[in-house]
Amino acid sequence: MKKYSLIILLSAFLFSSCMNEPVSQPNTYEGNFQALWKIIDTRYCYLDYKHINWDSIYTAYHQKLPTVTNGVKFFDLMGGMLSELKDGHVNLYSDFDVSRYWKWFLDYPSNFSSDLIYTTRYLGQNYRIAAGLNYGIINNGRIGYIYCGSFSDPFSDGNIANILNSFSSCHALIIDVRDNGGGSLEYSKQLASYFFKRDTVTGYIRHKTGDGHSDFSNPIEIITTAHKTIQWQRPVAILTNRMSFSATNDFVNRMTQAPNAIIVGDKTGGGGGLPLSSELPNGWLVRFSSSPMYNAAMQNTEFGINPDISVALSPTDQANGIDTIIERAIVALK
Amino acid sequence: MKKLTSIIFVILLNSILNAQNGHEQKYLLTTKTNTIGFSILSLTDPYLSPLTYTGNGIQFEHESRRFLSVSNTNVSMQSKLDLEGGYLLNPAGTSAMTYMAVNYSWGMHYHFRPVKGLVLLAGGTWDAGLGYKDVPRNVNNPGNVDLATNLNLSGIARYNIPLQRRTLTLQLAVETPVIGWMYVPLAGASYYEMFMLGNLSNISHFSSLVNKRGINPKLTIDVPFKSSVWRIGVGYQRLQYTANNMVFDRNELSFVLGTTFDGIGFGGRLKKAPANFISTTE
Repeated sequence: MKKYSLIILLSAFLFSSCMNEPVSQPNTYEGNFQALWKIIDTRYCYLDYKHINWDSIYTAYHQKLPTVTNGVKFFDLMGGMLSELKDGHVNLYSDFDVSRYWKWFLDYPSNFSSDLIYTTRYLGQNYRIAAGLNYGIINNGRIGYIYCGSFSDPFSDGNIANILNSFSSCHALIIDVRDNGGGSLEYSKQLASYFFKRDTVTGYIRHKTGDGHSDFSNPIEIITTAHKTIQWQRPVAILTNRMSFSATNDFVNRMTQAPNAIIVGDKTGGGGGLPLSSELPNGWLVRFSSSPMYNAAMQNTEFGINPDISVALSPTDQANGIDTIIERAIVALK
Repeated sequence: MKKLTSIIFVILLNSILNAQNGHEQKYLLTTKTNTIGFSILSLTDPYLSPLTYTGNGIQFEHESRRFLSVSNTNVSMQSKLDLEGGYLLNPAGTSAMTYMAVNYSWGMHYHFRPVKGLVLLAGGTWDAGLGYKDVPRNVNNPGNVDLATNLNLSGIARYNIPLQRRTLTLQLAVETPVIGWMYVPLAGASYYEMFMLGNLSNISHFSSLVNKRGINPKLTIDVPFKSSVWRIGVGYQRLQYTANNMVFDRNELSFVLGTTFDGIGFGGRLKKAPANFISTTE
């Protein structure tokens, strides 16, 4: 009898559902609203840092829910709620649209014109391309110039070795990351590694550990390792504008710690929160900043990184085929 | 020609077995079973999504079992290799998950024979599994790894059903994890933080009935034919585990088909094959 009791007890234990499974929301407007609100409430990392009262936003948007009559209006309502976060890393993806917040660059001067950098004064038409990096020698052979428009494309040590070898006669280098909206953190780290002489702590990252708005893990060091064999040890200028975002923000942050490097241009667009994604019951994907990243002084990089030399693109210069920011960098590198 | 070969083989085998009897020499038979299966699968992985993904899987399983020694036919050893792949969708069908897994287990069972035709096997197994779930739509959390090892309780009931022309073997096998180790990622962290920056704290978890429960009954029937034994069956797996504030869930209903056969294993100094067995190592 004892044996049977034990078996029954064990079976009851195995089949009983004692694990705290999260409550799943139904696929209704109300259910999807609740799911989205809760994902942000528990997982978005900047609610406290940005002083956002997410409960008030719930109230404001929830009372509009009864006015929603179709999927598009519901999407717009949800997208509107997310735009309150003022974060370029927050998006809602449906079958028919992607919500986005772009004021982090639309409200600022662009400070970049691709037409300018491909004039004969700079890259011209005969520039070289290696793994998405457009490069050439400018300023009468004195300065190497690389335009890096994305960190989504992989590049190898071989690519960089060839590029830097072609600049062997140059006394300085410009890396232009204006209008580079980001990509992979691995590539931003890799590109930075060629400009360090020793491994350096260039920042920190934390992640949410609980539902509370300030429940974060201890900071983890982000180390930029110096490349063992390829190192550019002459001056380098990094050109930035507001569209230097996300992984590019990370690259610029690393380069603030590189010896011989200066940042020239406009403040970067930020995007210091590493995004993760989740899903709503209706299958829409939500992307949101999940892990805040900091600079070496443990300051948040979400709102961007200030340049060492702040320069704007002058309309007069632009009209004359001159890129004010490149010119200022050339002067600074002399 | 085929018939002639079969007759010669049977005569040859018979003479070997007779010769073995004559010298009281016994060889252990290894029962090998290969099955393929089709499954209806549902997975909940909160690291990837709060939604439960459902879909279908295919699986292959190789199982071998033999007694520990010729003098002890009460304890058998079992080893099992499972390969599985699956394709699943979220409830709205807007996102897909591909799933791949491999699991190896090894264990021992004691054989009880309470009545004629019924054998009860009770024992334990150790298993190690590695799986990967891929949700390409996700951002910075597009995949998750299942990595775990367990000590399991295992029981098998096997009953022979004699019919007019053949004897069917009905088998119910059940296994449940008791203790072990499992990898579970940090809920709010990316793989970039964990593996590129080396934040591996709290990804390694001891598992027990408190945080990991599962059961996987499998009912099969072996049907002997003229020169082969076929196995058909249905299995169910329920597995639930929790760590790092996430509850992972797996439900699977599978239908299997395969063959089972006995082979003789020779090897080592003491178990040399008789001279009339030709080995590929010679």
